[in-house]
Amino acid sequence: MRRYIGKRLIISVGTLFVVILLLFTLLQFMPGSPFNDEKLTKEQRATIYEKYGLDQPIIVQFYQYVLHMAQGDFGVSYTISKNTPISQLLQSRLPISLRIGGQAVLLGALIGLILGIIAAIWHGTIWDTISTIISVIGVSVPSYVFALALAYVFGYQLSWFPLLYSADLPFKSSVLPSIALCMFTIASIARFTRSEMLEVLSSDYILLAESKGVYGPKLILRHVLRNALIPIVTVLAPLIVGLMTGSLVVEKIFSIPGIGSLLVTAIQSNDYNVIIALSFIYSAMYIGIMLVVDILYGVIDPRIRLSKEGPHD
Amino acid sequence: MRNPGKKLIALVLCLTLVLTIGSFATAEGEKVLKVQIETEVQSLDPQVATDGTSFEVIADFTDGLYQMDAAGSPVPALAAESTVSEDGKTYTFKIRDDAFWSNGDPVTADDFVYGWQRACDPAFASEYAYMVYDIALVKNSVAVNKGEMPVDQLGVKAIDDKTLQVELESPVSYFYNLLYFPTFYPVNRAFVEKCGDTYATSPETVLSNGAFILTSYEPAATNFTLAKNPNYYDAARVKLDGLNYQVIKDSQTALLSYQNGDLDTVALSGDQVELVQDDPEFSTVNAGYLWYITVNQIQYPELANVNFRKALSAAYDRDAICSSIIKDGSTPATYAVPSNFATGPDGKDFRATAYTFEGSDKAKAVEYYEAAKKELGMDTFSLTLLVEDDATAQNIAAFIQQEWQNTLPGVTVELKVETKKQRIQDIQSGNYNVCLTRWGPDYADPMTYLNMWITDNSNNYGFWSNADYDAIIKSCISGELALDPTARWEALKEAEKIIMDNMVILPVYQKNNAMMTKANVKGIESHPMALNRVYKNTTIE
Repeated sequence: MRRYIGKRLIISVGTLFVVILLLFTLLQFMPGSPFNDEKLTKEQRATIYEKYGLDQPIIVQFYQYVLHMAQGDFGVSYTISKNTPISQLLQSRLPISLRIGGQAVLLGALIGLILGIIAAIWHGTIWDTISTIISVIGVSVPSYVFALALAYVFGYQLSWFPLLYSADLPFKSSVLPSIALCMFTIASIARFTRSEMLEVLSSDYILLAESKGVYGPKLILRHVLRNALIPIVTVLAPLIVGLMTGSLVVEKIFSIPGIGSLLVTAIQSNDYNVIIALSFIYSAMYIGIMLVVDILYGVIDPRIRLSKEGPHD
Repeated sequence: MRNPGKKLIALVLCLTLVLTIGSFATAEGEKVLKVQIETEVQSLDPQVATDGTSFEVIADFTDGLYQMDAAGSPVPALAAESTVSEDGKTYTFKIRDDAFWSNGDPVTADDFVYGWQRACDPAFASEYAYMVYDIALVKNSVAVNKGEMPVDQLGVKAIDDKTLQVELESPVSYFYNLLYFPTFYPVNRAFVEKCGDTYATSPETVLSNGAFILTSYEPAATNFTLAKNPNYYDAARVKLDGLNYQVIKDSQTALLSYQNGDLDTVALSGDQVELVQDDPEFSTVNAGYLWYITVNQIQYPELANVNFRKALSAAYDRDAICSSIIKDGSTPATYAVPSNFATGPDGKDFRATAYTFEGSDKAKAVEYYEAAKKELGMDTFSLTLLVEDDATAQNIAAFIQQEWQNTLPGVTVELKVETKKQRIQDIQSGNYNVCLTRWGPDYADPMTYLNMWITDNSNNYGFWSNADYDAIIKSCISGELALDPTARWEALKEAEKIIMDNMVILPVYQKNNAMMTKANVKGIESHPMALNRVYKNTTIE
């Protein structure tokens, strides 16, 4: 197991290195500069490029960047918040995206599981139909429609929650965005839980368990759900990364100072350092969560022995 | 097997209840103006900032030598007195004795010297350095900015603590109009040096000498606040207790927040205008931008024919563009210098006394087109109209495409959509036929628009060149006319006439912004450049 994790970690570091190299190369092909293109003369642009080291050959820039990044320095922002260290921007924005995304994942997974279980247990009844309808709506309606509808009904009409994100009311103002974000997760998880559970419920070992007198919550939670969880965890992993790294539309509608809108603004304004730092974090989170999922497989299902891969590979 | 199901349903209901308990209430009481901005503040450092939002907020807590009055004219702020030498090249300012920074330091002449030196210093690399060397024409500024002279040779000196002297290379008739521009604001030298890289990134690392003090802020914040500065020399005039800025990028959320009472003033999109245009709280303000079509006479040589350019300009219906596509109160433009941003020595807006030019007229367009076809010996033309990926700009371009093709048989137009950055790069390098673009004024003088069309100017994207025109502009900047404001003003009108007679650019519209402001809020002063909104005279009844 340790050896497996060690190997995966080394591959992860290598992947991240390649990601940064690719980003650096691709950014060179972006039109324009981070600076006020229309008003600047060539000479002035040269002066500004010199100040930020953008006049150096790409290899030198890359070397400098990696060197600084290894020390935790992601450089400064050129446009979004001029001369502000990226680490400072991330410090204030990343926790907000993580919090809202985390809430959405928890809420989405929980409700999705419950809906899926209900649909599977009462397969073919009205509960199954209701759960399916919710799933279809969740998958097909984009999150910004939910966001706008929630903002209008619960923020504007009923005034139960703030319309806009507020640092003074971090939980209350994150409820509507979390709900808007979790709809897709609810739908996906509910559908998978339902189909996986139906498959497990019709298997011989459940029949055996029932005939041995296991029933009720014990049967569902220990025997059916546990066996149905593996494919669900696989679906959940990319959803977690997607939600935790912020959503452009939901952040825009609720004015959330998160990192989803930060990346889009950075791309539009050629804020190179912000683009690289955020892409790096996205990649790192994705790789990290995938690693956790692989390890979780072994915990959920003892049949999957990761350690086997060691000597027999 | 039924028990777990019931428990689960109960759990779902509990969770829903927990999430919906309580209600949100907005704070009431003090007279704090709640303002929407559409983008985050890019910088609170006056010599680093380059965007309208940052300038507006910087001016909330910083005064320059001059400030804008309600009409946009310069009126003294920190300057208690000012004198100009006879040759118009040396300005001397006395700084007010009752002006203090929020740490208790008096505002001194050296604070201005330091601010202006930062703006021009190549090591500091301010993006707005050109305001000092190209617009204000401060003595030695070109050499200082190129690094050929030390920064202390810049023509701005502290004669004593309260006396500032500025020397210019040549007279600048709009010089007072520059002094309210944040690039020319003072900064407290000792404080800035103490803060280093963290300067102007939080309330603790910024000083105020203006109407308000920053009370909460962090870089790229979506919400921040200012409170009235009790030690401001003009505090009696400031009626607001504070300002609460909220970044809202989505126009629907913005309008809901306004209707909800979370905002006192809000910007509207064109589509929203139809819903609220009869509301007494609705208004439009001049945004300053002139949208026009630039024509590339090098890559598409037929565009060098003036009758062809006139045909293109007369062929599209500007009224329809403003009333059916943009819908935010923007007005048709048939000129090269927009209205209501530059006031002349006669106290009148430039447009009020300037020439009027031909607008949209399809019959005339056909006449010009026939003449052009004869002169060029051609009867088919295929043009590519470049436009950026903004929805409104694309709709306008598609409309102009139809108008050209329908009014001028033989003209075929292809649309090419690019990101804004790519579009700018392409027109700067001359890689286009015709392109829908815009220009916003940098200072309150027609020169901010007319200077672009001189030979070899980096914004002369059409590569038009005319020696007479160059001579007028040169004389207005640093020649005989620079010393005679009235003659200069008349010359600028003639210069504009040359541009329009030659149809160097095809004007489309002048941008307005649609707004809503609560009925009990009065005195928000809006300007098309420099400081978009000023709140020193704003009241909440």
